[in-house]
Amino acid sequence: MSTLIVIDQPPYGSWAGREALDMAFSLAAFDQSVSLLFTGAGVNWLRTYQDTQEIQQKSVERNLAAASVFGVEAIYADEAASRLYRLMPDNTMAGVTVIKDRAALLRQHSHVAFAG
Amino acid sequence: MSDIKTLHILNKPPEHPRTQQCLEALNPGDALLLIENAVLAITMSVEAEVAVPVFALAPDVVARGLGQSPRGASASLVDFPVMVNLTASAQNVISW
Repeated sequence: MSTLIVIDQPPYGSWAGREALDMAFSLAAFDQSVSLLFTGAGVNWLRTYQDTQEIQQKSVERNLAAASVFGVEAIYADEAASRLYRLMPDNTMAGVTVIKDRAALLRQHSHVAFAG
Repeated sequence: MSDIKTLHILNKPPEHPRTQQCLEALNPGDALLLIENAVLAITMSVEAEVAVPVFALAPDVVARGLGQSPRGASASLVDFPVMVNLTASAQNVISW
């Protein structure tokens, strides 16, 4: 029984992504098997050097750093979206697995939920 | 800053349908100001594709880690006071 939470919303523009992340962390905290997939504009969550002081928001980069502590199994990024938004290994967070076949990943999980 | 006919303020991410409508509505003498999620367009060099000056709000650019882009997007980064001046110097403003 595994859950995949998909975040396709860009960071900071709306709260939908953060709510989905909280849900993923809650599941993981209760020892449920949960992974995260960032796709579409959502891959921008994974960019490094996010300095959010001027917009008075907590950096999602720091939120995500807690994922492994909570026991989130894997963080996936959609390859096509990463290319579209020019995410390269050198400006992407560590511990992210880039995947080619999004549909296959969805099929591997018993529950899939989208942010927002 | 010479007078801007219409200042287009866009806060939609690149894949939002309204983004394309905004780009199609740009006329000579206009300017485009990217804020919030719209700054993601500079990862795709949108400023190279449009024929009007493109500005991007620096706090939103930096928050999304785009201040580091090696190529250095050619959209001019502006802060809040300059944004206010842009809106004041434009004859019309469209907030998409």
